[in-house]
Amino acid sequence: MTFLNLILLGGAAAASIPIIIHLINRNRFRIVRWGAMHLLDAALRENTRRLQLEQLLLLLVRCLIPALLALALARPVLKGIEALVGSARSSQVILLDNSYSMEAGGRANGNFAQARDETGQLLDKIARGSDVAVMLMSGEGGMLLDQPTSDHARLSRELNQTDAGFGKAESVKSLENAVATISKMQHPYREIVVVSDFQKVSWPEEEDAERRRIMSLLQEAPLPPRLTFMQVGQSDAENVSVESLDFARLILGVGQPINIRANVRNFGQRTYGALQVYFRVDGKERLRTQIELGPNEETQVLFTHDFETAGSHTIEVFADADTLSADNAYQASIPVWDKVPVLLVNGDPNPQPLKGETDFLEIALRPYGEAKADLRDLIEPTVIQPRLLNARALEDQRVVVLANVRELDNAQLKSLQQFVREGGGLLIFPGDRVNAQWHNQVMAALDGGLLPLPWLDIAGSINDSAAATRIVNSHHTHTALEMFNDPRNGNLGDGEINLWRKLKLRPADTSVSVIAKLESGDPFLVEKKYGEGLVIQCSTPADGDWSNLPARPFYLPLMQQLVTYLASTVYPPRNVDVGKPIAAIFPKEAADKTATVTDPSGGSHEIKIRAREERALAEFTDTQRPGLYVMTGPDKEIIHFVVNTSREESDLRRWETSAVEAMAEDLGASFVRSADAYGELDEHRRFGREIWRPIFWAVLILVFFELWLQQRIGDRR
Amino acid sequence: MAHLSDFMTPLELQKVSNLQVVARLVVEGFFSGLHKSPHKGFSIEFAQHRQYVQGDEIRRLDWKVFGKTDRYYVREFEEETNLRATILLDVSGSMSYQGEGVSKHHYATRLAASLAYLMLQQRDSVGLVTFDTRARTFLPQRSGVPHLKMMLNELGTTEPGGETELGTVFQAIAPRIHRRGLLIIISDCFGEVKDTIQALAQFRHSKHEILVFQIMDKDEVEFPFKQWTRFESAEQEDEFRMIDPAHFRAVYLENLRKFQKELTDGCNRHRIDFTTMTTDRPYADALAHYLTRRQRRG
Repeated sequence: MTFLNLILLGGAAAASIPIIIHLINRNRFRIVRWGAMHLLDAALRENTRRLQLEQLLLLLVRCLIPALLALALARPVLKGIEALVGSARSSQVILLDNSYSMEAGGRANGNFAQARDETGQLLDKIARGSDVAVMLMSGEGGMLLDQPTSDHARLSRELNQTDAGFGKAESVKSLENAVATISKMQHPYREIVVVSDFQKVSWPEEEDAERRRIMSLLQEAPLPPRLTFMQVGQSDAENVSVESLDFARLILGVGQPINIRANVRNFGQRTYGALQVYFRVDGKERLRTQIELGPNEETQVLFTHDFETAGSHTIEVFADADTLSADNAYQASIPVWDKVPVLLVNGDPNPQPLKGETDFLEIALRPYGEAKADLRDLIEPTVIQPRLLNARALEDQRVVVLANVRELDNAQLKSLQQFVREGGGLLIFPGDRVNAQWHNQVMAALDGGLLPLPWLDIAGSINDSAAATRIVNSHHTHTALEMFNDPRNGNLGDGEINLWRKLKLRPADTSVSVIAKLESGDPFLVEKKYGEGLVIQCSTPADGDWSNLPARPFYLPLMQQLVTYLASTVYPPRNVDVGKPIAAIFPKEAADKTATVTDPSGGSHEIKIRAREERALAEFTDTQRPGLYVMTGPDKEIIHFVVNTSREESDLRRWETSAVEAMAEDLGASFVRSADAYGELDEHRRFGREIWRPIFWAVLILVFFELWLQQRIGDRR
Repeated sequence: MAHLSDFMTPLELQKVSNLQVVARLVVEGFFSGLHKSPHKGFSIEFAQHRQYVQGDEIRRLDWKVFGKTDRYYVREFEEETNLRATILLDVSGSMSYQGEGVSKHHYATRLAASLAYLMLQQRDSVGLVTFDTRARTFLPQRSGVPHLKMMLNELGTTEPGGETELGTVFQAIAPRIHRRGLLIIISDCFGEVKDTIQALAQFRHSKHEILVFQIMDKDEVEFPFKQWTRFESAEQEDEFRMIDPAHFRAVYLENLRKFQKELTDGCNRHRIDFTTMTTDRPYADALAHYLTRRQRRG
C-alpha cells in the first residue's frame, strides 16, 4: 500500500484520544462505602460481561473513527489489486504534438487529423471521473484547457477545434511539463501518452540523456506514471520550405526600394521543374517567379519592392509546393516611414551661416529641403538649444544628436536615458564646449553608461597639419558604413582631422564596439546598445572647426547612414519568435483604451492598453501560433506583427517505427500505433486502486453506529 | 395543636445530640398532632393468686378471696405492663451508609429511641437487642425511666460494624425472648432473603407479633451515581467493586425491586408487618405506623 498524503497518516494518533479519555475518567473515581453489596454483585454478575463487550466495542469504534479518517485523508493506494479497465479512475496526460510538421498530408486527412482522432478515441476509453489533461507539445507547451478535467466531452469538443501548425515540438520540455502536471493530479493510476509523428528534429538523439533524466524523475515519484509513445501519421519526407527572408533592416522611407532575398529549400527527394514563388505585399500578390529546385537543394529568390505609402506593411514569400502550408510561406512586418524626425541639440549656436555647431549636419540630413528641390527628404531634423531639451521635445523623435553640448541637467539626462532605453538613437559629437568632466562622471556613469566611452584629452593641433589624422578606410562590416565599401559612395579616408578627442577604451567592456578608427589608432566611431536603443559616439565634432570632414563628399552619406541606422531600431519589435509577446507603444492618452489583435487563425482578441511611465503599452502574449497578427489601436491605426518559428520542423524525416520502439524500450516506456492497441496494452498492466472512498464511507457508518450504540447503552441507564 | 418537631426531618433533628430529647421531641410532637389521645391504657391480664407473705403491698390483697376463704391471697398479674416489646436493632456495617442525609444507623437509633420512649410512656415494657452477626447487647424487657435511660445510653454508644446475617442472628436470639410480645426489627434486611424470612417465621411461630422497619438510604433506592466509583464493602474490609455505576443502574434497580418483593411477599405470607423507611422520612411516620399496628392488636 502507498499513500498519496503520507504526512496526514500521522492523524491516526488521534485514535488514542478515546483511550486517554477513558483512562482519565477511570482515575477520577469517587469512593463509596456501600452496604448493599449483594445487590450490586448480582448486577455485576449479570451484566459485567455484556457491558465489557459493549464498552469495548464502543471504545473500538471511537478509536477506529479518527484512525480511519486519518487513513482516508492520507489517500492510500492498494497496489496489489488489479483494477478493471474502464472501471478504475485514472489520471492521464496526453501530450499531443501540434507542431506544424503534423500538418503533413493536409489539414483534413493529414498526420494531425489522425493524431486528433486517436486522442479522441483515447479520451473515450478513459474511465468516467478520471482526470485528463491534453497538453500541446509546441510553443510554451500549454494545456488544451487550463487545468486537468474530468469533463471528457468538453475536452473532446476543444480537441476537435485544435489545429496543428504551431512551432517546433519541444519533446524534452513537454515531457517535463507532463511530469510536473501529472504529479499534481488526483488518481493513483497515472499515465502519460505521447501522440506524435516522432520527427527526428523534435526527438533528436542528442536529447537521449535528457529524456533518460526525466524518466528517472518519473520513476522516483511515489506513484510513477506509465509512459506510452503513440506514433501516428504516414512517413512523407517531401517538403519545400521558405526558410528565411533577408532584407536590409535599415529604416525604410516611402518610395525607397528594398531588396528581399528569400531562401527556399527542398527537404525531399522530388525535383521541382517549375516551382511558383509569389511575392505578396499586404496580402496582395505583387510579383511571381518560377524556379527549379532539385532534391535537397536550396536556392535564393530575389524580389525588389518600393512601398507607396507610409505605415505598417507586411511582405510574404510563398512557394506553392506541398500540403504542409505552414512553412510554404515566410512573412515579415516592415514599417515604412514618411518622416524620420531627428532632434539636433546645438551646443554652440551661431547666427552666421555654417558657423553653428549643427549647421553642416542639418544640411547633410536634409539636402533636398536645403536645396529647395522637389524631392522629399526622409529625415526631418529639428535644431534646438540644449536648454530646450526635455521630455516633450523628445516625443516622436527617433534620433537625438548632441553636438558640442556642454552638459545637461538631471531631468534632461533622465528623459534622454528613457528615450534611448525605449529604442531611440543617440549620436554624440564632442567640441570645445563639452564639459568632459561632467560627461565622464555623470553621463558615462549613468546606469551602465549612456556615454559609451569617457572622453580623454584633445589630441592633434589646429595649426600643424602634420599632426592631423584621417579615418581608416578599410573594409567596413558595420551596417551604417557598409556602403563605403563601394568607392563610388565616397572615400572615408579622404578627410583631414586636426583635433580629436581621445576616448578611453576599455577592452573588457564588450558592450562597446569600435565601428571606425582613426589612423592615429584612436577610435573614430564607437557604438553601444543601451536598453533597446543605440548610442554612437564620434571623436570629432559635426562641424568644420576641428576637421574638414563637412566639406568632404562622404560627409552627407555618412551622416545620413548614421542617423538612419540609429533610427532603424524598431521597438517594440514587429517580427518576433513564436511564444514571445507582441507589443506596441501608444501616446499616454491611449491608456485604459482597448486595442484589438487578430491572430493568424482569424480570432479577435481585445487587449487593454496600460499606462507605462510617459507612454501607454498594448501587449499581447498568446503568440503560440506562427503567422501574422494585426493590432488595431484605439485610433484605428494598424500595426502588423509577424510571429515566426524555427524552420527545423520542415525536415519531415521521422524515426522509423522500430527506432521509436527502441527509444521507448530504452526509456522503459511502451509503444503503440493506435488507441485500440493502447486499450489492449492498458488492460494487461493496470494495477493499483485508491481506496479512500470506501474508508470514508466506513467512517460515516461507524459514526452512526457509535451514535446508535451510545443511545442503546444510554437507554438502559 | 401542631408541634414544631412534627415538621422536623431526621436531618434537622440530627443537630440534637441528646437521644432522650430527640425521642421526646418526636413522640410529643407526634401526639400533639393527634386528635384522640392514646393514653387510655389497656386492661391488666390476671395470672394467678398466691398466698400473702410479709412484705407484700396491702393494696394488692384480694379482699373477695379473703371473704370467701378467710385467707390472705395476693393477686398476681401476667405482666405489669400493657405490652412487652423488644426492639431488635441492626448495627451491622451496612447500616453505616450515609448518603446526603443522616446515616442509616443514625436514623435507626433515633427511630429505636423514639419508639422506646413512646412505649415506655404508655407503660409498656421494652427490651433492646443490638446485633450484627450475633447479638451484641441484650436488654430485657422492662419499663420505667431508669430502663429508658439505659436503653438510650446503649443506643447512643453503639457503633455500626460487622456483617449482617439476619437468619442466623435471629435464630440465635429467638430462644432468649421467652414471652410472646411485639418484636420491632429495625434493619436494612440485607442478606439472604430466604433465611431472613425463615428466621422471622420462627419468631411468628413463638406467637410474636413482628414489625419490621427496613431502613434504606435514598441512594440505595435510587442508585443515582454517575461517575466511576469504587464501592467499598461496609461489612468486609478489602472488598470493593470498581465500576462505572451508570451502566449498572437499571439492573441494580431491577434487582432491588426483586429483593424487596421477595421480602414483602415473605413477610405478608407470615403476617409480618413490613415497612421500608428511607432516611429522609420523618420519624413520626414510623411512629404512626407503629401505633396503627398497636391499636389493631389491642
